[in-house]
Amino acid sequence: MLRFILRRLAGSVAVLFGLSLITFALARLVPSNAAAVYIGPKARPEEIARVAHQLGLDQPLPVQYFTYMRDMLTGDWGTSIGTKQPVLGDILGRLPATIELIGAAMLLAVPLGILLGVLSARWQRKAPDILVRLISIVGVSLPAFWLGLLLQVLFFRDLHLLPLTGRVDANLRFSSPIAATTGLYVVDTILSGNWTALRDVALHLVLPALTLAAYPIGLIARMTRASMLEALSQDYVRAARAAGLSERLITYKLALKNALIPVTTVIGLTLAYSLTGTFFVEVVYNWPGLGTLTVKGLLNLDYPVVMGVTLFGALGYVVINLLVDLAQSWLDPRTRLA
Amino acid sequence: MAAEVLRSATSVARAGILRRFRRAVLADPLALTGVTIITLLVLLAVFGPWIAPYPAQGQGESNVAARMLPPSATHLFGTDGLGRDMLSRVMVGARPALAVSVLVVLLAMLIGVPLGALAGYRRGRLDALIMRVTDLFLAFPPLLLAMAIVAALGPGLDHAALALAISWWPWYARLARGTATSLRERSFVEAARSMGVSEVQILRRHIIPNSITPILVQATIDIGTVILAAGSLAFLGLGAAPPTPDWGLMVADGRTYILDQWWLSAFPGLAIFVAVLAFNLVGDLLVDLLDPRSTR
Amino acid sequence: MSAPMLSVRDLAVSFVTPDGTTTGLDGVSLDVGEGEIVGLVGETGCGKTITGLSVLGLLPRTARITRGSIDLDGRNLVGLSESDLRRVRGGDIGMVFQNPASAFNPVFSIGAQMRMALGAHERLPHAEGSARIRDMLAEVGLPEPDRVLRSYPHQLSGGMLQRAMIASALLCRPRLLIADEPTTALDVTIEAQILRLIRGLQESRGFSVLFITHDLGVVRSVSDRVVVLYAGRVAEAAATAALFAQPSHPYTRGLIAAAPHPAARRLALASIPGHVPADVGIVAGCAFTDRCAMAIDRCATERPALRDLGAGHLAACHLAPTAGVGA
Repeated sequence: MLRFILRRLAGSVAVLFGLSLITFALARLVPSNAAAVYIGPKARPEEIARVAHQLGLDQPLPVQYFTYMRDMLTGDWGTSIGTKQPVLGDILGRLPATIELIGAAMLLAVPLGILLGVLSARWQRKAPDILVRLISIVGVSLPAFWLGLLLQVLFFRDLHLLPLTGRVDANLRFSSPIAATTGLYVVDTILSGNWTALRDVALHLVLPALTLAAYPIGLIARMTRASMLEALSQDYVRAARAAGLSERLITYKLALKNALIPVTTVIGLTLAYSLTGTFFVEVVYNWPGLGTLTVKGLLNLDYPVVMGVTLFGALGYVVINLLVDLAQSWLDPRTRLA
Repeated sequence: MAAEVLRSATSVARAGILRRFRRAVLADPLALTGVTIITLLVLLAVFGPWIAPYPAQGQGESNVAARMLPPSATHLFGTDGLGRDMLSRVMVGARPALAVSVLVVLLAMLIGVPLGALAGYRRGRLDALIMRVTDLFLAFPPLLLAMAIVAALGPGLDHAALALAISWWPWYARLARGTATSLRERSFVEAARSMGVSEVQILRRHIIPNSITPILVQATIDIGTVILAAGSLAFLGLGAAPPTPDWGLMVADGRTYILDQWWLSAFPGLAIFVAVLAFNLVGDLLVDLLDPRSTR
Repeated sequence: MSAPMLSVRDLAVSFVTPDGTTTGLDGVSLDVGEGEIVGLVGETGCGKTITGLSVLGLLPRTARITRGSIDLDGRNLVGLSESDLRRVRGGDIGMVFQNPASAFNPVFSIGAQMRMALGAHERLPHAEGSARIRDMLAEVGLPEPDRVLRSYPHQLSGGMLQRAMIASALLCRPRLLIADEPTTALDVTIEAQILRLIRGLQESRGFSVLFITHDLGVVRSVSDRVVVLYAGRVAEAAATAALFAQPSHPYTRGLIAAAPHPAARRLALASIPGHVPADVGIVAGCAFTDRCAMAIDRCATERPALRDLGAGHLAACHLAPTAGVGA
């Protein structure tokens, strides 16, 4: 088991190196003169040349790559053209908001998705199965940005139940300010007992989380169903029936535990989806997270930001994959006790 | 070798699988709905400009006198900020949507399948190299790489298509490699090898044609996924530019007015949803058909 | 003679597929008496496993019992409610399967699975239950019962797993054990041990056994009576000694002749030419007609009834009483 972990870690490091190469290549692929963009449109040629030299753009490529890697590893991810702040700082500053959103969405999607999938397999070919299959296929086909807009119209404009955009009501900054400990507002408000703010934060979180959760719910339900059906067709299920065990025990314990092993992979997939799915949800709900940061950077051609987020996202994906692999091999006694 | 991919795809279509497909579709109402919708889409893509009630507006001609009209008998989907009939815009938009996604999938197949088949058949160092490269590409969260490429190249439908194709080819390489690896052990391949047939010929005549079915299934599902991806990129402003009737772009344009003129974003988004849903329904059917254990 | 404990009468099973309906069992009748070991033998696909599964109502979804009865102590198991059947499964009738590695759930320990099997029928306090399980494991010849209980299936050998499966099946003291090819997946030395084990357990605990196998040698060494199945129908049934001494159905004779015999190593292997009919449900006459060297016209048109040739020796062949003796 330990050897497996080490091998995976080594592999991940290799992948990360490759990723840095690709992001570096992309950054240098920029057709327009990065230096020119940095200064602005009205610069004179010699100023452009000076900035180019400052940014190290006139060095040979391998040297540039080396500097790039050195900077990345020491935490210097460049400076945003838009905010003129260090990119890494910007990213880390926006991170908690995105983590809170993705966290809420996954906390909703994973239990619900698994439950739907199990019910669907248990009552195969009956009403629950058909309903769940419909929900799943709709969930994976819905454009997140469209769903977000629809939900806004329904819950804000028509039902007046939930807020339209943002993470928290701006007025609260004065009446019940949130103590920033973790940056996760739900956690922070609970920690400081700020119940007014907690209620407001929670209300703001509902629609974005729901929107982001649609695809994961659909995918997890569908894969859990397939995985359960596979488990239920195994010899050990027939043997369990022959021993007189109840269908309930067989479904919710004996088959489910087996079925969850491949489901962890799917959960990893949905986490990966969320990494980019959050961009769209954040844009629609004006959520101050990594998504809105990146989209602004993309539209303003703020390359340092874009490359920074790309590398960050890829890093996150690698970590997610590693965790999923570890979880899977731990869940299955055949690999855990090899 | 890329030509071989296309040739195999068409020959499979002629084979008996079409008959089984037709029987399975007729038996399953959901899949039938999917196939119907796809047929509709294709018709719209080809004949859109002729079927649409206000074809010129569909292409972009404005009619400011009739701006922001809610859905009515004359304008089933209402009109947009420039007075253009939304129904026509959505109908005409089927062509760029379908064309781009088919193009992207085709490109991804034509790059990925030969590479993957080569890797799976040759094994050894070439295989390891190609697999490392695909691993790298697949190490990016979906769409992130495409977004970064579009950012580097600049917005536009062609750049978006290229970016998507670059993000997608590794999946096909992986798929083709898998089938190639299992096929190389089969006796007819061994026979060809022992007769001295060149590697390229073996790949073209035996490996690729026999791997094509799961690849085609994946391609069908992917057309829907790419429609969604391209629409998403356009929504962010990274895809098509006005006046192209791109569905994603229309949703983005309508966003500012969503609370009052909901129809501006609702119908184009609905089009994306329905298109993706249709391809997913048909894709599900195809996957079931290919599963040796299924009862269809 | 007392009434048999298990009495299967005219059991018929059909398979329904999108391509049509085929017959799995076409009127099978057999008895298992108290404390008796009955061997059910036949080639692959003859329906012996289906018979075993039918008793416990464990047929796959595509299969259906179309007629017949399965009486356990006079109670018909066919058409019983699921909850009643569940009490029978594991409680009155235990079952052991061919592949022990796949019959155990890979993500639960052996101990956990055995506790669940016990808990399905008896509410025992934890200590008592554990004691019973440990005793059972010792009885099937597994050393270090605690280690076995803690282990996962992949950590034990095939032989050990089969012993554990037998132990699990006998936990709730069933009166009948159905063993579906329990030794087919094991090598010969282990096979002999398991056969000895089953015979020993049967002697000490007194349950009956329905032993399903394709191996004539195994059937001969383990059973009191033998039922020969061909294409979903019973061909012959007799006490073991009588069956091998005077096989009265041409198929039985063919089987016995085809079994490799160490003494006859230099002789060519005999085999029965031809194939099993695809769907015996549509065969009007005897299912074996096409492959039978002695077939007459009557065989093709009239299905032979299972007749008593004397002393409980049954055969379904028109020519049986006059067919002669021996191989």
